[in-house]
Amino acid sequence: MPAGSPDPEAPLTEAALTRALRRAIQTADPRLSRFDPLPRIISHDDFARGHCGWSQLVGNYEGTLDTMLPGYAQHTSAMLSTLPHWDAGSHGGADSSYALKIATRPRAGAQNVAIKRLNLRHRGPIRFEMYFTFKPEATELTLGDTALRSVGLLFDLQGGDRDGDAERVMPHLRFLNAESGQHRHIWQFKAERVPFQPAGGSGETISHYHLSPEGWQDLPDGHQKLCYNEIATKVNWAYLRFDFDLATMRPTALRCNDRVFDVSGMEPMRIPAMKNLWCMLNFALFAETDTDRRAFLYVDSVCISGDF
Amino acid sequence: MLRENITAILARNETWKGHAATEPFEAGWAIEAVVFVRALKPPVGAQPTARIEISPDGMHWVDEGTRLALPARQDEVCFARLRGFGNWLRVAADFPDGAEACVLVTLHLKG
Repeated sequence: MPAGSPDPEAPLTEAALTRALRRAIQTADPRLSRFDPLPRIISHDDFARGHCGWSQLVGNYEGTLDTMLPGYAQHTSAMLSTLPHWDAGSHGGADSSYALKIATRPRAGAQNVAIKRLNLRHRGPIRFEMYFTFKPEATELTLGDTALRSVGLLFDLQGGDRDGDAERVMPHLRFLNAESGQHRHIWQFKAERVPFQPAGGSGETISHYHLSPEGWQDLPDGHQKLCYNEIATKVNWAYLRFDFDLATMRPTALRCNDRVFDVSGMEPMRIPAMKNLWCMLNFALFAETDTDRRAFLYVDSVCISGDF
Repeated sequence: MLRENITAILARNETWKGHAATEPFEAGWAIEAVVFVRALKPPVGAQPTARIEISPDGMHWVDEGTRLALPARQDEVCFARLRGFGNWLRVAADFPDGAEACVLVTLHLKG
């Protein structure tokens, strides 16, 4: 045995054995094998067991729903879909019949958002993975590959009430598919935010529509051509992985299919800590249409994990 | 295994007038559904009878036959029970000139 090589007969440390067992079990499990989770799985949503905690993002209001900002008022409930197409029937998910479907209204610029609301228990690395695809509603017998503007995800985070650095931090990421009828095919982030507005008159409730269309910036070298396929009713599932460090409140990595992107310049929105959002760990998925056709974001499965 | 059930909000604080309908909703996993309509504000004018519509594709709609007399007063709730609806569901109504209603439409699905 060369000097300095590990002794193959030496017993594994408990930590090494734990890592090896975890890896072996996850790799052998068809439900998890296509994910690369961090050691602790926070949630694994395959949408064959219901909505798995993904609910409608409702806006803040006070006294009357009329105080809700229009951006939020347009949101509707996500649904479980078999991706049923008028010409070919149900497409189905990657591994089951169902996917989560987030559908916009048929109005240019319309958006819809689904959200999963948790709390954090450790400020360390987290990983968000999903298999997703997107399409416009097949109302026309055309390719329609510029009808959908974007799909994306955002986190809504805040540290604990005893953390000296606590801020509300909102990393936003979207794949800008098309804009004003032109292909863009680029990943973007958004650090700019709009001012808060009071919702109602008491001053207890405020609101801001952070998905307003202004302020998106291109990720450096962020162009990517995804598999749109050849007609509006054929889809293929894409893989997305977004890593974020809750300790530093900064993104650390982004991968989509075969491409890895540099996120060192990706800034999240930062807001002074809010009085009732301590330890918030929210994940949101959204779709946006560029035309008067509904845009659909389909999510086959999501795995959220952390290193703790 | 417990049955799945979900409450979905199909329309919230939306003012219906003329031809009105909820956004298409996929409910194919569910065996049964209940649709509720609540008037959030005092309805204006003669309120029509709403109908349940189903669809082969979420784009072409057909009257399923179930009727809901829409609320005549604020906070009144009407409902309809549904079975055998396939995948797509929506609530539709045609309001006469001058009539309108601000509605909350809630869908309960179980399967």
